[in-house]
Amino acid sequence: MVEARPVAEAPAPRKRRHLLLALGVVMLVTMLLVTAFGPWIAPYDAIATSPNSLAGPSAEHWLGTDSIGRDVLSRLIIGGRTTLLITFVAVSLAVAAGLVLGLVSGYVGGLADELIMRALDIVFAFPVFLLAIAVVAALGPTVPNLILTIAIVYTPIMARVVRAPVLSVKRWDHVEAARSVGVGELRIAIVHVLPMVVSPILVQTSLTLANTIFTVTALSFLGIGPPPPDPNWGGMLSEARQFMELAPLTVIGPAAAIVFATLTFIVLANGLRDLLDVGSH
Amino acid sequence: MTRIVLVRLAWMLPILFGVSVVAFALMRALPGDFAQAAAGTTDLSPEALDTIRRGLGLDKPIWAQYLLWLGGLASGDFGSSFVTHKPVLGELLPRLAVTAELTLMAGAMAMVLGVFTGLASARLRGRTDWFVRGFNGLLLAVPNFVVATLIVLLAGLYFPELGIFNYTPFFTDPLGNLGSMLLPAFALALAVSVTISENTRAAVLEVSSQDFVMVARAKGLRPGAILRNYLVRNALTPVITVTGLQLASLLGGSILIETIFTIPGMGQYLFDSITSRDYPVIQAIVLVAAVIVLLVNVLVDVAYARVDARVSYG
Repeated sequence: MVEARPVAEAPAPRKRRHLLLALGVVMLVTMLLVTAFGPWIAPYDAIATSPNSLAGPSAEHWLGTDSIGRDVLSRLIIGGRTTLLITFVAVSLAVAAGLVLGLVSGYVGGLADELIMRALDIVFAFPVFLLAIAVVAALGPTVPNLILTIAIVYTPIMARVVRAPVLSVKRWDHVEAARSVGVGELRIAIVHVLPMVVSPILVQTSLTLANTIFTVTALSFLGIGPPPPDPNWGGMLSEARQFMELAPLTVIGPAAAIVFATLTFIVLANGLRDLLDVGSH
Repeated sequence: MTRIVLVRLAWMLPILFGVSVVAFALMRALPGDFAQAAAGTTDLSPEALDTIRRGLGLDKPIWAQYLLWLGGLASGDFGSSFVTHKPVLGELLPRLAVTAELTLMAGAMAMVLGVFTGLASARLRGRTDWFVRGFNGLLLAVPNFVVATLIVLLAGLYFPELGIFNYTPFFTDPLGNLGSMLLPAFALALAVSVTISENTRAAVLEVSSQDFVMVARAKGLRPGAILRNYLVRNALTPVITVTGLQLASLLGGSILIETIFTIPGMGQYLFDSITSRDYPVIQAIVLVAAVIVLLVNVLVDVAYARVDARVSYG
């Protein structure tokens, strides 16, 4: 699992900070463009089979074909759509839920805080991946179920990341000042507290995206991902293992895609952290 | 000391209760009828279904079902497998031992690798630091099942005589068993070693800037002695904690690794149960894993409090 980098180190020189972030943004934009325009870029139909199976790389099939003659490159491009769609929607839900729960928990405090945090502790007690397996296995492996499951397992960490800084920010002078001129509590929480805690949320979101790529592809790898024949990276990697010595590219392709996506979010997280100075106070 | 243990264990109870409710609810959230799932077929007469339902206690109110199930757990009854119809616990325990071995081996490897690279990174600085950080950053992006798949691919392509799928039970051939676990444990250890490495590095850097290290240096102690007696000893506390807390990801990872290397542990059992929709087994494994993680977290907390006098639990 990807975790926040420990504290206790000098901030990176300003120039390198932006370099890392720029690299992350370029990688992200590349990935998004390829997936967004996937159907137009992909040279072949991703689920159309052909007799030309387990072919090596050639001018027609840059990454060769899989065991039932489907073009690996096309499947990678189309498979990225499913994998990334699940990832982005699930993490958006987790962030939204984490924002609400963390803000209520940290800002309101008292019994609400106690109840929310204890409930989240229960979810937290399960190893993320095991809980995801259990829920998806029980509900059935469909795209909406995968999204829901992943949103559930990553909500506690988001809520904690929101709650911690809210606890101190709510005691700051500008909050007191707002209250003294009669601003409502809800408005204070959203307008005066929330913007102060955006940086750690951004960084954690990026790390969670990286972790989600792992969870989504690993679930698919175990056979409880989006149902076939539509491709997805984890499923492709798993299917390809049977004949991988004959066609190594069928394994290396999805492996590289998974690593690239994860790396994108890790680079982005580190770039954001350096830029926003999160965790170095 | 006893007090700390008791307080932490008492904190565990409400969480354990929640965990059990979630695990129970998962079984009842199954699509379709639980009795049908138990029978493994939808092609049953209503009378036959009723019999199964009564046998499983499904005609009672839901809270009574939960209490019955909980009472069963307390006496070691985790239900029976839908597939083999044998008690789950008896099938689970030997597999748990295999997973425990794999996890412990991976944990030890990760610790050695992580502490070594972290220490080198913090002490040698410069190019070594740069290299280790870069390597760690890259490694973080390679999921363990990808590492494992690539290891299998490389072994198959270049060392076909290695026979990496030959799992040997410990009691038939202890050495062969350890040998067959090496590569899987390594695949599992790599990602965890990154966390340990980064934490070791940070801890050593932090301890290095403490006054007592400066005093030791001013006294003229040799760098080797400072490293051994001051740096490593003080930096190791957070490292041990981090290693303990990584257990959850090791357990999660072992599911994938065991499936890939065909090791008959809890992970492969879970994988098979998912494929055959053997829900009682899935439920038992999730429950057992959650309890193990909880217990280890308590253990880590207690160990931490024991080592570091600054930590206290009211």
